[in-house]
Amino acid sequence: MRAEDLLIGSGFQTHSGAPPPDVRTGCDLAVSVPTEETMAAETRLKERGIKVWDVIYRFGGDLPELQFSRLVKRVDYGGHVMVRVGNMKLTYEKGTGTIVNISGGGCPDIPLLAVKLVGRTLQEAVPPAQIGFTLCAYTLQKAYEVALREWGGPR
Amino acid sequence: MLLLSGTLPMQSGSIVVGPVRFDRGELRLGDAEVPREMLSIGATAMMAAALETTKALGLEPPMSVVAGDLGDGGGSRMIYRYLTEDAGGLGPSTVTLHYILPLRNEFLGFVEMADYWAKRPFLIADAGALLIAKATRVCDRFDLFTPDAGEISFLADPDAGHPAYVRAALFEVDTTEVPGLIARAYAEKNAPRYLLVKGPTDYVVDAGRVVHTVSEPNVPALEPMGGTGDTLTGIVSALISGGFEPVEACLIASKANRRAGELCDPTPATGVFELVGRVEEAVRRVADEREA
Repeated sequence: MRAEDLLIGSGFQTHSGAPPPDVRTGCDLAVSVPTEETMAAETRLKERGIKVWDVIYRFGGDLPELQFSRLVKRVDYGGHVMVRVGNMKLTYEKGTGTIVNISGGGCPDIPLLAVKLVGRTLQEAVPPAQIGFTLCAYTLQKAYEVALREWGGPR
Repeated sequence: MLLLSGTLPMQSGSIVVGPVRFDRGELRLGDAEVPREMLSIGATAMMAAALETTKALGLEPPMSVVAGDLGDGGGSRMIYRYLTEDAGGLGPSTVTLHYILPLRNEFLGFVEMADYWAKRPFLIADAGALLIAKATRVCDRFDLFTPDAGEISFLADPDAGHPAYVRAALFEVDTTEVPGLIARAYAEKNAPRYLLVKGPTDYVVDAGRVVHTVSEPNVPALEPMGGTGDTLTGIVSALISGGFEPVEACLIASKANRRAGELCDPTPATGVFELVGRVEEAVRRVADEREA
């Protein structure tokens, strides 16, 4: 997630998505760059202390895309709203925007994200992508973005 | 003996193996006291609920194997290594794998090694362990999964490597057409013999056949409460280790988890450890009702 942000900010053309099936373990993410820019991208990431797990060359096709916009559900509980994206749920209080519960996921960074986010408002919380490492955290980031957009600020 | 494994949301140090203790809101795993602020969704809720279940029924308390992991996989590797190289010596009858980073080789190493234990344990997977079991195509080497809505649609989708890649058509129906998703999961060989599918209605499944559904008590606020699936996994793990037949254990666990939720009268803002504090009473009540 941090690699994607850095590479985009550095002017690389990137796509993010699932790693190729033969190397995928389930909760991992990949970023693709044009083959001729691989070395420059790797150097840029190392300069900023972002570890590259592996570099795989593919000369056809692209990474399977994530379609989070089609994996969103909402439940209104009166005073609270639960936003679900994929397997991750984030629930916030309507009036204050306070995050009251995080649910779902299976990777080790999710309990940490729950500890870090619950009790904070959507505005003041550190976005999950800045703390997490895994696809579950990436999914939670999308739920956080949907909640932040829909809440729209204190009432 | 029940062996519960999972990561804790803290920096990885060393692995901790020892009994689970939970008293007046303080959780101890082996020699390590878990800071109160770390009591959250995940392995802590699962382990505390398992212990409360054993208290209710006078069963042997569970053992834990835990390590800190913030998502980089350090603690997960320690747990896989312990399970593969040392856990067999404890002789657990039931092993539950929970929040853990999906690491292909390390995970498969344990699954292979479990076949060589003096007695093969009853293997339960939830959370990260469930994801990697499907990704490595070894679901049939497990005995029970406890998936939620997002996870059952993931198991039903042969092409999804993670719940985030589930086809939108399956995501749309993952709380309304659960029996169909269960059938697809078995057809794709992405399920062990037993499933306990948690949701607005819980489904107990044996070899692809839904044998029980549980919808009461209906407590809508349990869905947003993070960790209710973890407590369910802890309860059913304790029951199976305690000698309950798997289908009966799933049925009691489903009812008891809902009852514990009802007893704590939750709102969407209620934390899971309020529910954990009601598990002992709930399990005792449900077990008494089953006996009667």
